[in-house]
Amino acid sequence: MRAMIKQSRWLLPLVSIIIVVIFLFPLYWLVVTSFKTEAEIFRSPQTWFPQVWQFKSYTEQLTGSSFDIVNGFRNSLAIAVGALLVSTLLSIPAAYGVARFRFPGRHSFILIFLVTQMLPASLLLTPLFILFKNIGLIGASYWSTILANATAGIPFSVIILRTYFATLPKEMEESAKIDGCNTFTTFTRIMLPIAVPGVVVAMVFSFLFAWGDLIYGMTFIGKEELRPITAGIYNFLGFQSTSWNNTMAFGTVSMLPVALLFIFVQRYIVSGLTNGAVKG
Amino acid sequence: MTKAKGRIAGYLFVLPALLYMIFFVGYPIIDNIRLSLFDVNVMNLTKGHQSFVGLDNYIELFKEGTLQKVLMNTLIFTISCLVLQFIIGLAFAMLFNLQFRSAQRLRGLVMISWLLPATITAMMFKFMFSSGGIINDFLMKLHLISSPIDWLVSSGTAMFTIILANTWIGIPFNMMLLTAGLTTIPKDIYESAAIDGATAVKRFFKITLPLLKPAIMSLLVLGFIYTFKVFDLVLIITNGGPVNATQMMSTYAYKLSFDQFQYSQGAAISNVMFVLLLIIGVIYLRLLKKEEQL
Repeated sequence: MRAMIKQSRWLLPLVSIIIVVIFLFPLYWLVVTSFKTEAEIFRSPQTWFPQVWQFKSYTEQLTGSSFDIVNGFRNSLAIAVGALLVSTLLSIPAAYGVARFRFPGRHSFILIFLVTQMLPASLLLTPLFILFKNIGLIGASYWSTILANATAGIPFSVIILRTYFATLPKEMEESAKIDGCNTFTTFTRIMLPIAVPGVVVAMVFSFLFAWGDLIYGMTFIGKEELRPITAGIYNFLGFQSTSWNNTMAFGTVSMLPVALLFIFVQRYIVSGLTNGAVKG
Repeated sequence: MTKAKGRIAGYLFVLPALLYMIFFVGYPIIDNIRLSLFDVNVMNLTKGHQSFVGLDNYIELFKEGTLQKVLMNTLIFTISCLVLQFIIGLAFAMLFNLQFRSAQRLRGLVMISWLLPATITAMMFKFMFSSGGIINDFLMKLHLISSPIDWLVSSGTAMFTIILANTWIGIPFNMMLLTAGLTTIPKDIYESAAIDGATAVKRFFKITLPLLKPAIMSLLVLGFIYTFKVFDLVLIITNGGPVNATQMMSTYAYKLSFDQFQYSQGAAISNVMFVLLLIIGVIYLRLLKKEEQL
């Protein structure tokens, strides 16, 4: 086997690159289409590269036509950051609690977080809709969508962070106590700083869950100008004749934060996925 | 720190998140059961009299045959996706597990499809599989078809398209969990098997697959749960069409509640989903316990 691998020093990478290029072709096609003219998009045979570059798909939607691209981006950002803050602030102490303290019911709490991770959004949708309507959160603000999205971020974050806190040595808490820390300051000054990599993973995933949300955003937010970018795409696709280059421009813009996160925290994402899913 | 004090501290740390989940998840679960047992429509959703109808909503959906139809669709979709993404994910995991330059970087790139919002992926596949799209163009160039196929117009091809799109999303998930599994297999097992004259195929079936079993089990169960509740993707690509051929439990529940304002029937469908996922969830937790990871 070793000899075979040595032989194929260039063959293996080459084959792999071709496979990955084919696999990711849809993304290339998305970006390229957003720069094509309407006429070129459905020309047969298809052009692999825009013959005429046009930026109209982007600029046209900056000025608030049917859906404002900057507006949609800002809405998605507000919702995703809001959900990230709510879920991180709540899940960090909860994960610390179940990881470092022994108390009755601890295992059931972990179970609750594991099970809620598996719930379909449609299960919560109508009851939350009624609840938010009764307390006046439907239609007027981001809050309904932020609160609903955090229900996905919290259990995932608790489960990821629990494994982080659980691996820290017990002596750390004991020496912190000798140095005069109480339970709370031990947590904020000693344990939390060490768990930063885990916190980053939790934050990234809470953000991505909410960034990709469609169902809550389009159901709870009545005002067109407050809806996230995903809802904008959905609206676009609903029309009889879809203007594909405009839709692809939307897609490209909403892909940007994901691409940036991917570039900067890829290492964390991979560890988070395997920790959160396998180890539970 | 005394024992009692530690106990109280533990509760205090967990309490905020727990209360949040009880309020925004626990309460909706209960309320959804109530909704499904009453007659709730757009007139009496938030105020007014709601009459108790017992299991009528479930019975009606069952008699119409829609419950069985969407359950069947969802199962076909879920199982097809699971099989496809497992096979391709395993192939990817084994390929990038070979020690060659840039293997890790390429594996990382594959992750992107899993991180993207499903809305974007759905839009992309809808575009590529439209009648004037790149897929038809490509197949015609290869002379595999003589005229463009209307992928999303007939039932079989529409189902095929959403399965393909969701498989694209699921491959990295399978790949990563299987990669994690592969790293736990000691290298010397392969070497001694090779010395004993075991062929590569034999090594795969006698060593790799059996030793990956724990990873495979938990990824199939988790994959089932994630795929069973897929919503955005189907809503955008087919919206359940043509004529309910790709209607999933999730999209049908949404359609009943928010297009037809039959909130009770929508709730009934969601509850059936909930029970099924709960059963699978219990199986998953059993698996975790077996591996003593909980």
